[in-house]
Amino acid sequence: MKTRTITFAAAGLVLALSVGVGGYALAQTGAVSAALAAGTVGEQADGYLGIRGSASAEVKAEVESINIKRRAAYTDLAAKRGVSVAAAAAATGCKTLSSRVGPGQAYRLLDGSWAVRNGSEPVQLPANCPA
Amino acid sequence: MKRSILTSRRDDATRSAMARRNLLALGGLAACLSGCIQVTAPDKPIEINLNINVKQEVLVKLQKDAEDLIQANPELFPQ
Repeated sequence: MKTRTITFAAAGLVLALSVGVGGYALAQTGAVSAALAAGTVGEQADGYLGIRGSASAEVKAEVESINIKRRAAYTDLAAKRGVSVAAAAAATGCKTLSSRVGPGQAYRLLDGSWAVRNGSEPVQLPANCPA
Repeated sequence: MKRSILTSRRDDATRSAMARRNLLALGGLAACLSGCIQVTAPDKPIEINLNINVKQEVLVKLQKDAEDLIQANPELFPQ
């Protein structure tokens, strides 16, 4: 009888933890999504997320966390294809700039300058991105 | 018959012979000072260009992989 209680307690704890972690992750991504919409965070041509101007500590932390995970994914791809991590990242940067920057959202070019996508105008892609 | 080096080459142990050898050593040092490779530190700081220019052909090759990477990791590419 006692072991059953412990099992239930453990299951409850696992459930609570998973809901808690999931909710936390959702809230964090939500913060970055809001910052992307507001133009305080944007995709960079180098394949990473950047902060434009100032952002809350929560947004900064989440951008950093995403960039670390992106770097890991780029490193895997680079090893698989025998290219540099920068090349894998830049190839992804071409994609994020061309297809994931909405009107009014900010993006950063290779020279470090920020631009905001104006209405239906296309994003200015770096010269080495495939058309 | 045993001969000691000191006694058989007694001439070398004179003051004048030693002075001659000192001069020779000094001459060698002087030759090295002018002839040896000189390494001087640059007066300007060394700049490393971090502007990575990835060739377009590499990016073309990776296009599909990049697309797949974005699709496979939606949590890394919030919108």
